[in-house]
Amino acid sequence: MKIFNKFLLVSLLTCSFLSCEDYIAGDLINSDPNNPTSVPVTAQLPAFQIALADNVGGDFSRFNSMLVQQVEGVARQWSAFNQYTGLTPNRFDDAWQNVYENTLNEILIAKTSSTTNGYNHYIGVLNIIEAYTLMMSTDVWDDIPYTDALQGINALNPIFDTQASIYSTIYALLDEGITLLEGPSGSVTPGGEDVFYGGDVAAWIKAAHAIKARGLLKDKDYAGAMSEAGLAFTDASDNMSFQYPDANAAGQWYRFNRDRTGDLEFHPTMRTLMTGLNDMDRLAVMDQTFVTDHTYLIPNFLQELITYREMQFIIAEADQRAGGTQAGYDAYLAGIRASFTRLGLGEAAYEAYIAQDAINPGVGNLTLETVMTQKYIAMFLQPEVYSDWRRTGIPALSPVSGTAIPVRWNYPATEILFNSNAPTEGEVNIYTDRVGWNQ
Amino acid sequence: MVFTILLLCIGTIMAQRTITGTVTDESGEALIGASVLVKGSSIGTVTDFNGVYSLDVPEGSSALLFSYTGYSGREIELTASNVLDVVMREGVVLETAVVTALGVRRAEKSLGYAVQKVGGEDIIRSGASSAVDALVGKASGVQITRSSGSVGGGSRILIRGVTSMVGNNQPLIVIDGVRTNNESLVRDIDGTTAGTATSNRLMDLNPDDIESMNILKGAAATALYGTAGAAGVVLITTKKGKNQKQIAVNFSTSAGFDDITQMIDLQSIYAQGSGGNYRGPSTGASGSWGPKVSDLEYATDSNHPNAPTSANAFDAAGIYRYDKNGFLVPSGAGNGNPANTYNNVDPFYQTGMNFTNSLSLSGGNELATFRLSASDLRATGVIPNEEYKRKTVKLASSLSPLEGLTISGSVNFSKSDYVRVQQGSNTSGLLLGQLRTPVSFDNTNGFNPEDAVDQVSAYQFDDFSQRNYRGGGGYDNPYWVINKALGYEDVSRTFGNVKIDYQLNNWIGFGINIGYDITSDVRKQDFEINSRTNANGAVYLDEFSLKQYDNYFNVLGSGQLTEDISLNYVAGINAFSYNEQRTSIEGTGLVFPGFLDISNASALTSEQDINRYRSLGFFGQAEASWRGTFYATLSARQDYDSRLGNPTNFRLEDTGFFYPSASLAFVFSELMDNTDLLSFGKLRLSYAQVGAGPPDPYSTQSVFLAPSDIGDGWGDDIGFPIGGLTAFDQDELLGNADLTPELTTTFEVGLDLRFLNGRLGLDATYYNGNTKDAILNASLALSTGYENIWLNSGEMSSQGIELTLNATPLQTKDFSWNTQVNFTKSENIVEKLAPGIERLFLAGFNTAGTYLVEGNQYGSIFGGAYLRADAGTDKDQSLNIPSGAVVINDDPNSSEYGYQAVDPKQRAIGDPNPDFIIGWNNTIAYKRFSLNFLLDWREGGDLWNGTAWALSFFGRSQLTADTREETATPIEGVKQSDGTPNDIPVVRDENYWTSSLGGFGAVGEQFVQDGGWIRLRELGVNYRFPATSWMKGGSIGVSGRNLWLKTDYDGIDPETSLTGTGNGQGFDYFNMPSTKSFIVKLSFDF
Repeated sequence: MKIFNKFLLVSLLTCSFLSCEDYIAGDLINSDPNNPTSVPVTAQLPAFQIALADNVGGDFSRFNSMLVQQVEGVARQWSAFNQYTGLTPNRFDDAWQNVYENTLNEILIAKTSSTTNGYNHYIGVLNIIEAYTLMMSTDVWDDIPYTDALQGINALNPIFDTQASIYSTIYALLDEGITLLEGPSGSVTPGGEDVFYGGDVAAWIKAAHAIKARGLLKDKDYAGAMSEAGLAFTDASDNMSFQYPDANAAGQWYRFNRDRTGDLEFHPTMRTLMTGLNDMDRLAVMDQTFVTDHTYLIPNFLQELITYREMQFIIAEADQRAGGTQAGYDAYLAGIRASFTRLGLGEAAYEAYIAQDAINPGVGNLTLETVMTQKYIAMFLQPEVYSDWRRTGIPALSPVSGTAIPVRWNYPATEILFNSNAPTEGEVNIYTDRVGWNQ
Repeated sequence: MVFTILLLCIGTIMAQRTITGTVTDESGEALIGASVLVKGSSIGTVTDFNGVYSLDVPEGSSALLFSYTGYSGREIELTASNVLDVVMREGVVLETAVVTALGVRRAEKSLGYAVQKVGGEDIIRSGASSAVDALVGKASGVQITRSSGSVGGGSRILIRGVTSMVGNNQPLIVIDGVRTNNESLVRDIDGTTAGTATSNRLMDLNPDDIESMNILKGAAATALYGTAGAAGVVLITTKKGKNQKQIAVNFSTSAGFDDITQMIDLQSIYAQGSGGNYRGPSTGASGSWGPKVSDLEYATDSNHPNAPTSANAFDAAGIYRYDKNGFLVPSGAGNGNPANTYNNVDPFYQTGMNFTNSLSLSGGNELATFRLSASDLRATGVIPNEEYKRKTVKLASSLSPLEGLTISGSVNFSKSDYVRVQQGSNTSGLLLGQLRTPVSFDNTNGFNPEDAVDQVSAYQFDDFSQRNYRGGGGYDNPYWVINKALGYEDVSRTFGNVKIDYQLNNWIGFGINIGYDITSDVRKQDFEINSRTNANGAVYLDEFSLKQYDNYFNVLGSGQLTEDISLNYVAGINAFSYNEQRTSIEGTGLVFPGFLDISNASALTSEQDINRYRSLGFFGQAEASWRGTFYATLSARQDYDSRLGNPTNFRLEDTGFFYPSASLAFVFSELMDNTDLLSFGKLRLSYAQVGAGPPDPYSTQSVFLAPSDIGDGWGDDIGFPIGGLTAFDQDELLGNADLTPELTTTFEVGLDLRFLNGRLGLDATYYNGNTKDAILNASLALSTGYENIWLNSGEMSSQGIELTLNATPLQTKDFSWNTQVNFTKSENIVEKLAPGIERLFLAGFNTAGTYLVEGNQYGSIFGGAYLRADAGTDKDQSLNIPSGAVVINDDPNSSEYGYQAVDPKQRAIGDPNPDFIIGWNNTIAYKRFSLNFLLDWREGGDLWNGTAWALSFFGRSQLTADTREETATPIEGVKQSDGTPNDIPVVRDENYWTSSLGGFGAVGEQFVQDGGWIRLRELGVNYRFPATSWMKGGSIGVSGRNLWLKTDYDGIDPETSLTGTGNGQGFDYFNMPSTKSFIVKLSFDF
């Protein structure tokens, strides 16, 4: 091999002579000229905010509202999902990818640069979005990776944290977020690029309380939930939401109905329920054929992530569980009114609706059943309805097929395949394995 | 030959008579400098520039011996005539020089590795308009797969199977010493399974310009090319001018006619609908599960009780819009005119035509030579409106101003224009809509199929909505596809080289070769408003600019060290740079129909994408030989590849890698008495390594992108900018700064035997190789925050056998028969993937996709399978189909009661790699006539018939017409609950084919079919014109390609690839049908 060594020597000498380092490395030739290796947090924020909103209005909304029979899968794959048999692990790959790769990992990167730069208000906002994302995920998947997650090649098989520890993390993130937002901002603050709140610090603090209320409710801390809800949104303008701008970036439901016409329709169960309540005005808005002509599920849809009306129903529910007071009753009616407003129905329609005794029975006569039924209607297509139904069993639903309605989602196929710490397919029974707060 | 000339100088004066004649090759071209020797004497001469000789022959001489390098020697008896013209045949002569790596000409006998040559005539005679297609069956170890019958569609070449796990596996193309790109440039909008056909860019070379092609197969043969040659090298030498007195002119013209070979069987009994009920076009029903067409008749009254109720069914005047005959109602309820059935498939296709004219001028003298050629190809496809036009101009010239100095160069220019049609897995794909159309619906709307192409009312209503069988939803009407969703491609390309060679003396010579290849590829894709893939209409503009420069500086020489030992060497430097730039503009939301231009778009997004890398190589090779018996060659190369560099912490040594090769040729026949039986025998041995960097640049860093794929795969994704806002997120691909080169080690042994003075030859090669640290696009669990990463983690082994048998069973003065058999068998086993990764996706679909799977053949088809009673061993568990009986679902509450149960695990359900390939090539010549044919046999190689799979769902295939009529019988298998033989009778009807067991269901194994074939790849008859006073020669030929095909595959011609020239092969999902061709060609030499 001596000859090769000499050869190597000669070629290396020639190489330095010709300055081959310049040829191979010059002009940063192996650096992608079209894509940056780092971006400011302001250029990152809208990407994962919209990814999150689109995930909420996408698989989370569709699967969850289908499971609680607000919508019905009637064609192609969706008819198999409707029968529950089609809800195989690979169906949840996209939602999981949107959570981990497109939201949580982006938040982590944004948080790292914000921490380095001392953008405290940004960190606060990131905490709140992270908490929101974690909660919607653990609510359908129970235990999920967190402490070990998002480390790329340094942890190829992230372990799964228990839902209880995820919830603790969520509360801690929210508390820290509120503290940071109430303190000094740092040199760069969220502004116009913040597609949820346009950099409105007060609104973000309210949103943190709203998310906390949503969590405490599931943790059965009703008093806590009521007080957090009280610190949250004062009206619908505080809602955490994303306004899809136009037909070129149309709302999730619109795109689904346009490109998968006929797969999903309004569910007869919900139709029967609303008809029984003489809820015809809201029904007329919701119960239309799911095509592009739908008047509610439009291109420039307002995708809500958490709302004032949900807070009102949290107050109403907590109050009702504590015996029921006028304040709780008022919240109940405020929730219904906000729902009418959201659907584009006027005050007159609302007044006519609550003129019915069954809807407006008076403080002493309100039942948890009525509150939760109204919340079920008011939260049409909001993923959280699935949590409410699992907690309370209201409204009563019969399985579409078999003997049980799934009480959670399967873990996604790719995670099962590539993460050796993920529970295998057989280890999870979506009909019986209830998530932590639901046990 | 020098010796012969000396003999000539000594020349005697004993001449008794003078024999004259012309020595030509089979094509009639004069052979200059062929030697002519009187048998049994030292008297001889050589032919002049016109191939003419004149020799004084002594009294009593019996015969003349003719010889010429690269041709079989001939011995011809002298007769009374003083004129003796001789035709020499290119042959297996021992002293043949072959072109090896870097264009170094070496004696074939000295090579320790396999090289196979394909001559220019074989290329031309094949009738193929692309050099790649012309190579099929002509060399062992080479597998070529045409992707589709679309004109201008690409072909994939593999030499010795695959070399890289996920990187490029197609060989390097070197034209006149410099690398030339053979890429298929793919747009973002096309993806791998949809879009339009793509070309491979070697199509830009006019096959008439090719002098010869040399296939360098193994790593030892390609070692000097380094990384770029890892997958083999095709060395193309183009024709040059010769030192001759006159200017030679060649003109050729050809006309070709193409027709589709075969199509999947469709049923023509059942009408559109479901559950046996007719549901017409306005209902949007997708399937053909309606009643028998023979049970239906027409009605026209919009008040008819069976009239369609959809708002779009009738126009304002109350006339039914979807069929001029009216809508369909049960027999007896309408106007008595029975329902028609429509063949929406066969009449749609036309005879594709292509016309090629080619002209070349060549000439030269001692000082300079030139060859100028031009060609023009115009082709129309079997699919109406598809087009391919190519114009090429090439100038090759050389100048030898001083003894030992040659300056040469060539310039090629080509311009190719394509009009392309959407294909594959896309709702605007031609066959997707065509084959799904129920037999009760007329895509032409009453026009003759030939006329419907130009009849807007066949596919579009007055309100600009689409007329198709699903009420404007579903899939595009084929006539819409070929009018309203066309792709246009305009490729301008120039490539060539400038070369300076200076030979100081035998021992030292210098060479500089500067090569360039510049391609501009401008594309436009239209989607009219109401196209199914883009309901709002879209125009996509893509502009590719590809530049590569390949420069060499060599020192080379050779000579005798001692009487017994000779040496030759080459050493040099190679600098290569590659720059591909794509700029794309996507215009969506067209404002009004009928104007397909970017200015009509209401939203624009644009993108630029630059791929660039450079490499620098230092190489050397030395060959020592002993008495023409032993030849030992050592070579080494040190490469630096920018793709391994980390821009933030660049270290040159990270990018460099070294690899050696060694080979030995032992010509054992030199040590034996020269018997008539064994005229030549050689044993070859070689060992070589070759390294390779990552397939893509920028793999060492993670980047941010403006996301364009926000969504979850149900509705179309949305992308930034959104509402005027742009944002970035971290790419799902994690960069890896620790990448090292992957290394392939190959060992090759070969035997070259020639018998009976070269009339019979056998060349056998066995090789095995191993790739370590293969760079894989490894999947990650998404909870890591990333979807994948480039990782040095794979290992793959390969082995193969190649046999080439050459024979001239018959040879007389006027008649000869040459035959060649090429046998190829190769196997690539995936030994190891990234940690924790069971399989790696290459291409395809959920139900059936090609993957790399540990322990399996490269690119196995992995997908849904029936559940088997025997769970299989641990290894089988996730990989292969267990051997047990099929398990039948016997849960009476299940909607799939009595059907096969579905295995929850996906399994390896097919292997797209052929078991072996044989090409049998024959040339039979009689006087001026010749007949050639090539039989191409590909044994095995599975294809997943996704077309049949999908059509079963729609009740459109003949299979579904047969099965829905069958009497209820139990499916063979055992019952799930108790393992007893199944006794549940079922009919495989609509419910069956739309369940998990049919189209779009989870099971893919039932549609894996044997994609092997035997075909008559080429058949041709040729006649050479005799020379006249005004014409030196010429020929007329008639040939056919793919005239006969025998296959078990139930669909289109199984030579097809949905993914084009990519690595994931073995899919047919509404692929464009392949073609057979008939070609007439005339050629004249002046």
